[in-house]
This record gives sequence, structure tokens and C-alpha cells, in this order.
Amino acid sequence: MKKIHIHEEYCIGCRLCEINCLVKHSRSGKIVKAFRGEEPRPLPRVRVEEEGYLSFALQCRHCDEALCLENCPTGAMYRDEETQAVLCDENKCVGCWMCIMSCPLGVIKREEKTKKVASKCDLCRGETPVCVKNCPNEALTYE
Amino acid sequence: MNDIETRYLLVGFSVAGWWCARTIRERDRKGKIVAITKENGIYSPPLFTYYLGNRVSDIRYRPEWIENLDLDLIYGGEAKTLEKENNRLILSSGESFVFEKALIATGGLPVAPPLPGKELEGVFTFTTPRDMQKVSEFMKHHRVERVTILGGGFIGLKTAEAFIELGVKVTLVELANRLLQNMLDEKSSYYLESALNRAGVEVIKEDTIVEFQGQGGKLTDAILKSGEHLPSDLAVIAIGVRPNIDWLRGSGIEINRGIIVDEFQQSQRPDIFAAGDIAETKNLITGERNVVAIWPEAVKQGKVAGENMTGSRVSYPGSLPVNTVSVGEVALISAGLVNPPLGDFELLTEVTNDSYRKLVLKDGYLVGMILVNKIEKAGIYINLIRQKVKVDDFKDRLLKEDFGMISLPAEYRKHLVEGASIEV
Repeated sequence: MKKIHIHEEYCIGCRLCEINCLVKHSRSGKIVKAFRGEEPRPLPRVRVEEEGYLSFALQCRHCDEALCLENCPTGAMYRDEETQAVLCDENKCVGCWMCIMSCPLGVIKREEKTKKVASKCDLCRGETPVCVKNCPNEALTYE
Repeated sequence: MNDIETRYLLVGFSVAGWWCARTIRERDRKGKIVAITKENGIYSPPLFTYYLGNRVSDIRYRPEWIENLDLDLIYGGEAKTLEKENNRLILSSGESFVFEKALIATGGLPVAPPLPGKELEGVFTFTTPRDMQKVSEFMKHHRVERVTILGGGFIGLKTAEAFIELGVKVTLVELANRLLQNMLDEKSSYYLESALNRAGVEVIKEDTIVEFQGQGGKLTDAILKSGEHLPSDLAVIAIGVRPNIDWLRGSGIEINRGIIVDEFQQSQRPDIFAAGDIAETKNLITGERNVVAIWPEAVKQGKVAGENMTGSRVSYPGSLPVNTVSVGEVALISAGLVNPPLGDFELLTEVTNDSYRKLVLKDGYLVGMILVNKIEKAGIYINLIRQKVKVDDFKDRLLKEDFGMISLPAEYRKHLVEGASIEV
């Protein structure tokens, strides 16, 4: 299975990964609409962490032993057989936040109003992830 | 009746049994597994209240996976006797099983005090699919406008959450002076209580129900110790669950509050393991033995038992109480030691208008936390508690807005992220 690899020494903290991820997972797929016209506003599923000169982009690792999946009581969190990605079926999610409680990297976010998991990397459902594709300095690679 | 022979026997088949079966199957593709459940399906207990609140229509647990497990499933089977001298289990139906290894995961039973009037129509407990069906049926056939819940613990709160979604007037009665006293401190239970009040729930503390009264066999009032009468169309007794261990008396299995197991989830009968709401394990932080009846520990214990039943020697690090509850727009997550005794504990707190965070440290390690509303980093903190990572060097950053993986020691951060084959 292909994974997103993080190379912090190349990350320049530009956050293009966050922007591209947000737009990719918006309803319109358009940057201006995604930022200004959609309610709830889509969230990026990758997070850039920054401290001094150090930065890196972090998204779900699709762990082999995925605690979010093990601890999901509804079965909403599942592993896609083809990509091996851990995905969330929003129809089944009840917003109990067991996944948020379980993720050791803190990369799952919630949609407070609709009580659904709002932000969880889906590896762009099989395509090369847009965070990787749009990284200007190869700080994220997919292999 | 002839014995049914099996390599693995799983007695009780909820989440602990399910993850045990899955783990066994990954390691032993052929060995026969018989799983016995007293229910007529395989259910996810946390969904019962969500079903009641119309958030889900299916309470089964991962039905799409069950075939892959290649189990001989026995529904409606109630374990009656575990023979002391032999690896033989007998059901109430008379069916008997001879096993090489067994997992006991028969879960818990609701604690039901002998309250006068609890047999009235309209008074329920709420821990099984049957309870859930009975409450749903009752709701269909009766006008239910006022619900009284006895118990401000976890099940009481989840039940209240469901009735709030249905737009019913809820009164919650709790004997202690605050809600969820095991998982929250005073301040955080105040946030919870305010959220309940905003959702229209009346919370009555330091009082309890002493009697249910009715007319024509149907509930009309819950009577409080203080003398107050609460007109009620429906009442739920939710004061807790206890391990379902009575049937094991005489089996030679050592029992205290639950089945006493070692770090391998093994009872002192080496072929017999236990996991989930019936197993008494060591607390990860305090070392005290206790039954921690929550989903994540049931999964972990089931997996450890499964590995060890197939011949490995894998140990369970100890139980960590973790809980999450949401009411209206208030979400709470707590873990570990949240009300530390007086002593060498350090508390880090942050309070805003609509959020509260408290971290409990001991000797430079995180041992407990409560998060109200700012919950998204819960998993990072809980992992630091579980893995016993020393946080002394970065404790001043723990509550910063930009706290994240970047705040952790580089070595540890890389190890965590690499865990899933990543190079940082």
C-alpha cells in the first residue's frame, strides 16, 4: 500500500497542502467558494505544525492498528480494501468522538453542528493526494 | 446430549469477544471457534441510546465482517455452568461444549435496587437490546412527555442525551452532589449541568428515588427521598452495571468484583481468559484492581486474550478509564486520574467562557485530563498517558493553542509517526 511520507527537512511551512486539501474536500471544488461560500466551511484534513524553523504537514497515518477504527462503536470508521485507507462513512457516524479520543496524533476533527467527523484524511480516495501533488518542495511524497 | 468440541470457545459475544475472535482468526485460520451469545444478534451496546434517539436505525456491530471470521455462532445461548474439573461449559438449554481455550466475556448486568413499584409498566433499565426494544415499543404506544432518569452516571447521561433528541422533558436524579463524579471534577460537571439545563433537563442532586407509584399497573410518579413527587410517563433506572459473574460461582475461577485476570487476561485456570466488562484488571495509573467497563479497554483486552489463546505471550498494560459525553453543543472527554488525592500532583488548567481544560501531572508524567469543548487534542494527551511519556520538559506547551506533535520530543514524534511506516 502507498503511503504519504513526511519529510520535515523540506517543509517550508507554506500551507499549500492545507489549502489544496480544503478545496479538494469542499462541495464546490472552487477555492473562493470553498473559503467564502460554504457552510459549514470545509476543513483541511492535513495540518501544518510550525515552531521556529521547524515545520511539517501531518495527516492521518492510516495506522495498521487503527485505534479510531477499533474504538468506533457504529462501524463508521472502516478500512478501504483497495487503498487500505481508514475512511469514515458519515452516514453511520453519530458524533460520539470516540475516534478523537483514540487518535494518538490528534488528526481527526469534528463538525460541531452536524455532529459528524468533519476532517479525516481519505488519501484522496485513490488518486495521488492533492497535498502531495501540490507540495512545492517535495516535503510530502506518496510511494 | 453430546458435547460439542471446539478449539476456542467464546462465552458472550459483544465487543471484547468480537475482537478476540478477529485476533484469533488472524493467527489461526483453521481452528474451530464457537461463539455463544445470549442475544439474537451481534450488537454494539453504545448504539442503544442512539437508536432510541433516532440517530441510528441499525444497532448491529460490523455485520459486514462477521462472515470473514468463520465462527460457529450460537444465538440465544445462556451460559449456566462452567465445570470446575473439566474444560466443559453447559448452557441453560443443556447444550454442552468442550474447549481447549475459552474466553469469558459475558459482560455486565444492570444494578437494580429493590425499589417498590419498579415492576410498573413504564419503569425500565437500559443496557440490553431487549431493554431498548421494550422502551421503543412503550414510546410507540404511550404518550411520553416526562421522563425521569435515576442516575447521573454514564448510562444515565447517554439515556438523557437520547430523550433530549426526542424533545421529551427529562429530569435527572443523582444521589451525589454532581454528575459523572467518576469522570469529571466539580468545574467540568458544572459545564455539563449547564448544558443539560439549556437543553431543558432538570437536574436534581443529592436526592434519590425511593418508590415508583402508578395507576392501573402503569407508572405515574417517581417519589424522591426528599418527599417530592415527580410526575413521570417513563422512568429509567441507570445507576450502574456489575459484572455478570454469578453463574461462575463454583467454577474454580477466582472472582472478586469481576474475574481476576493477570496481565495476559488469563484467569488462574490457564485455559480460561476473560475480557471486557467482566474482567478485573490493574489500573494503568494507580495499579488498583478494578473493572473498567468501557469500549476501548474491552477491545484491547479481547485482542490480548485472543493473542494469548493462540499461544503468544502478549501483555495488557493496564486499564485507563476514558470517557466521552456530549450534550447539546458541549462535548467532554476525560481520562485517567481526574480527581487526584492530595499529594504530589501538579494541575495545569485553562478556563474560558465556553471551554475548560485540566491536565493532571505526577512526577513529570501526565496521569489524567478533562477537556470541555476543546477536545480535538484528547487523543494526543491520552496517548502520552498510556505510553507514559515524560512531559516535564514540554509541560509549559501542553495547553498552548498550537500544541501538537511538534511539541513532543523529536525522537518520540518520529517513532509515533513512523509506526505506520513513515519516515520523518
